[in-house]
Amino acid sequence: MVAVQEKQDWQAVIQDMEAVIDPNNVIRRKEELLVYECDGLTSYKQRPAVVVLPRTTEEVAAAVKVCDRHNIPFVARGAGTGLSGGALPLENSVLIVTAMMKQILDVDLENQRVVVQPGVINNWVTQAVSGGGFFYAPDPSSQIICSIGGNVAENSGGVHCLKYGVTTNHVLALKIVTPDGSIVDIGGPVPEMPGYDLPGIFVGSEGTLGLATEVTLRIVKTPDVIRVLLADFTSIEAAGQSVSDIISAGIIPGGMEIMDNFSINAVEDVVSTNCYPRDATAILLVELDGLEVEVAAASEKVEAICRKNGARQIQSATDPQERLALWKGRKAAFAAVGKISPDYYVQDGVVPRSKLPEILEEIEALSQRSGYRIANVFHAGDGNLHPLILYNNAVPGELEKVEEVGGEILKLCVKKGGTISGEHGIGADKRCYMPELFNETDLETMLWVRDVFDPKRVANPDKIFPTPKTCGEAARAQAQKEFPNTERF
Amino acid sequence: MGAIASQIESIIGTAGITAWSELPAEQRQHYEGAIAPGTLPEYMICPDSQEALAEVVAWAHRDGISLLPCGSGSKLDWGKLTEGIQVILSTERLNRLVEHATGDMVVIAEAGLPFADLQAALAPTNQFLSLDPAYPERATLGGIVATADSGALRQRYGGVRDLLIGISFVRADGQVARGGGKVVKNVAGYDLMKLMTGAYGTLGVLSQLIFRTYPLPEAGATVVAVGDGEAIAQLTQSILLSSLTPTALELLAPVTTQSLGLESSASNNFGLLVRFQSIPASVEQQSASVRKQAESVGLATTLLQDAAEADLWKRLREKWDEPAHSDAITCKMGVRPTRAIELLSALEKLEDVQPTLATLHAGSGLGYLHLPADASPSILQQIRQLCETHSGYLTIQRAPVPLKQSFDIWGIRSETLPLMQGLKQRFDSQNLLSPGRML
Repeated sequence: MVAVQEKQDWQAVIQDMEAVIDPNNVIRRKEELLVYECDGLTSYKQRPAVVVLPRTTEEVAAAVKVCDRHNIPFVARGAGTGLSGGALPLENSVLIVTAMMKQILDVDLENQRVVVQPGVINNWVTQAVSGGGFFYAPDPSSQIICSIGGNVAENSGGVHCLKYGVTTNHVLALKIVTPDGSIVDIGGPVPEMPGYDLPGIFVGSEGTLGLATEVTLRIVKTPDVIRVLLADFTSIEAAGQSVSDIISAGIIPGGMEIMDNFSINAVEDVVSTNCYPRDATAILLVELDGLEVEVAAASEKVEAICRKNGARQIQSATDPQERLALWKGRKAAFAAVGKISPDYYVQDGVVPRSKLPEILEEIEALSQRSGYRIANVFHAGDGNLHPLILYNNAVPGELEKVEEVGGEILKLCVKKGGTISGEHGIGADKRCYMPELFNETDLETMLWVRDVFDPKRVANPDKIFPTPKTCGEAARAQAQKEFPNTERF
Repeated sequence: MGAIASQIESIIGTAGITAWSELPAEQRQHYEGAIAPGTLPEYMICPDSQEALAEVVAWAHRDGISLLPCGSGSKLDWGKLTEGIQVILSTERLNRLVEHATGDMVVIAEAGLPFADLQAALAPTNQFLSLDPAYPERATLGGIVATADSGALRQRYGGVRDLLIGISFVRADGQVARGGGKVVKNVAGYDLMKLMTGAYGTLGVLSQLIFRTYPLPEAGATVVAVGDGEAIAQLTQSILLSSLTPTALELLAPVTTQSLGLESSASNNFGLLVRFQSIPASVEQQSASVRKQAESVGLATTLLQDAAEADLWKRLREKWDEPAHSDAITCKMGVRPTRAIELLSALEKLEDVQPTLATLHAGSGLGYLHLPADASPSILQQIRQLCETHSGYLTIQRAPVPLKQSFDIWGIRSETLPLMQGLKQRFDSQNLLSPGRML
C-alpha cells in the first residue's frame, strides 16, 4: 500500500503538474475543488488535493508519472455520473479528470468501429454514426451526460444490453496509461488478438488498473423496425411471469423494463405522461427490434403472453415520437421519485430472472419492516433491480438506516443466486459486500491481477476490494474510518 | 516413478491414474504433439471432482511437478510446445452438467463436459450454446474456453468471451478461485472469465463454467455466392451495411470454394456463405434480399436449406479441423474486415506457397489458413506482415515440431508482453502450468 507521507509537499506536486499540463487545467483552489468532491453517489464527499484535466494521452501519462514520483495515489474521473463512488477522491490524492478529452478520433463505418477519447459522451457516439445507420449499443440511463471513459471503468450496461451486451462486449481495443505512467495499446481493431485478453480484464476494473485514454468501440447496425409495447398488470408477479414467458418463447427483446405502482404514480405526478395507468400494480415495457416481419411476429407473441398473464391493456408504438412517449416515464423515473421524496437511495442488484417475483415480494416485506418506502424500477429482462429507497436526509441517522436496508436487498440478491451490482460498479459504496459474493481466495486472485498492473496500489486505492481495516465492522463504521474527514449527506 | 503414483493414489485413489507407458500408442502420439522432444510425461491423471483436481494441483505445486492441463486433448497441439511436462492433467472425468436454469437461459457445467453432450442436453429445451467450435464431437467446454475457440457463429453471437458469465478454476497453488456468477449482468469484481478465456491453460486449471444460452432458431438457410473477388467484396460490404442479420458470414478463398465443390464456371471463384437463422418468414425474406443484391453485382447464387445446408457447414467445419495434409500448418488470422478479400487475394498470389485453405469471418475479420508443412519461416513472416499491414495478426496453431521451435508462432505484440508475462508470473510463479505454451 502507499505510505502517504504525513506532510506531502503539495506545492511541489502542483509545480510538477504545471510543468506537464496547462496550468489553467491544474486546479487547486478550494472553491474550485468543490465540484470534484463526489460523483453521482453524493452521500460520500471528499475533497482531493489537486485536480488535473489533461487533454492528451501524453499529458495523462505525464500526470501519472508525477504521482508516481511523489508516491501519491490518483483517482480517475470521467463525467462524474457514477453511482457507486468509483470516482470519489481520497484526501491526499490527485484527481485525474478526462472530461477535456472529448475528441472522436476515427469513425470507420465500413469496419463498424469508432475510436474515441475517454471524455466523449456516450450519446455522442451514436450521434456520430446514426447518419450511417449505426448506433452504439450500451446505453446507461445517464447516456446524455456520462462519458465513455467512465463506461469502460464501470463496464456500464443500460436498457439495451439485454440483447446487445454491455460495454465489455463492445470494446475492441484501448490505449491505457498504467499506474507507473507507461502507455500501452491493448487489444486491436480485430477481436481475439493473440495472448491474454487484456481489454477483457481492463474493462470494468473501475480505474484500479490505470486509465484508458483511447477506446476503440464496436458499433451496431440500427434495426429496421423498433416497436415498444406497454402492458399494464394488476399484480407485479404477473408482469414478472410475462418476462419469463417472453424469454422462454425464444424472443430476445431489445429491452424489457418493469415499473411498480409507486414509480408509475411518481412519474405521472411529475412528468404527466398520461400513458401509464395510475391504478396498475405494474407496467411492463418491451422493446422489440429487427426486421419488420420479425418484429410483427414477436409482438404478436408478446401481446398474447401478456394477455394470458392478465394484462389489462396493451399499447404499442413504432413511430419514434410515440415510442419516446412510452419510454418517457421510465427514463424520468429516478428524477420523479427525487421530486416526491426529499432523498432517495438507489440500489443496483441482480437476481436470476426467474427469481424476480420472489425478490420483489421480499423487498416489499423489507419495506414494511423497515418503514421505508421502496419504489421498484428495473431491467426485468436481465434481472437487474434498481430499488429506490425513499428517505429524508435531514433526519439524522436516516441515511445509515437506508444504507442498511439497501445492504439487506443486496444480501437477498446474493441468496437468490444473483449479484451485488449489475451495472453501477462496486466502487466505494459496496466493497464491504464483496465477501457476500466472493471468498478470500477469489478476492486474492483478483488482487493478483492488480499486483501486475498496479503493484504500488496507487490507482484508485480503497475501491472494489474490502480490507479488514475498512470492512471489519458495519458498513457505517467502515465508511467513517475509511474517510475520516468525509462529509456525509 | 513409483513415488509419484503412490502420492497421487493417496489423493485420488487408483482410478484415474494411468502410467504414460500404458496409454494407447495413438493417444501418446497425440499428446507428444504438445510437448517439446526430450522428456515425456510419467502419468496421465483424471480427477473426478473439483476437490480432487485441486488436491492434485496443490500436490504438484508442493513438489514442483509440471502439469499439462487439458480436456479431451483435441487441441493440445495448438500453441507452443510445452516443456518438461511430468503429468498430463485431464478434466475428462469432470463432466457433469451441474444446472440448466432454463428460464434464466444459463447453464453451469464442469469443464470436462463434451460440447456435444451439452448441446444434446440443451436441445430439448430449445436452447443451445451459441458456439461452433473445432472438433465439436470431442471438444470439452474447458478446452473451448482455454483456446477461445468458436467458428462462423461469431457473426451473430460473439466469441467465447461474450458467452462465459462465470468461472471456477484451480490456481497453480491448488486453491479454487471463482469469478462472475450465474446472472448475465454482473460487474462485481474483476472479469476473471475474460482472463482465463484463451489463456491456454497457462494461468489455472478450469473446473466449472457458466454460460448464457440462446434460443434455438426456428428456421435457417444459407445463400452461397461464388464469383469474382471484387463482386464478393461488394456484396459482403452491402450486407454488412444493411440491416440484414446473418448469423454467419463466411468468406472463402478460391481454394476453399473449390474444395467444398462450390465453384461456378467463372475463373475467379471467391465464395461467400450467408447464413440466416430466425423465424421462417424472416429467413426467406433475408435470403431473397441477399440473392437479389448478389445478382445486381453479377454473382451466381444457390440457396441451401435443411440437410443440404447443414451438410455444407459440417463439411466446412471438417475442412477447418482436418487439413488436406495431416502435417499441415494451421493458422488463425485476423484482418481489418474491409481488407478481407484483399488479404485472401494476396494469399492466393504468394509465389512460394499454396495455401490449402483460407477463410475469414467477414464481420469480425477473424479466420483460418492452412499451409503445407514445408512453408518456411520467412514465408510465414511474410504472411504475418500481410496481416499486420491490415491491422491484423497471424498465429500458428498446428505446425511441425522444428517450426514450432524456431518461429514465434504466437505473434503477440511486444508492447503487451510485459503485462502478460507479469500475469503469468503472478498466477504461476513456478511456471508449472503448461510451461512454455504461450509466453
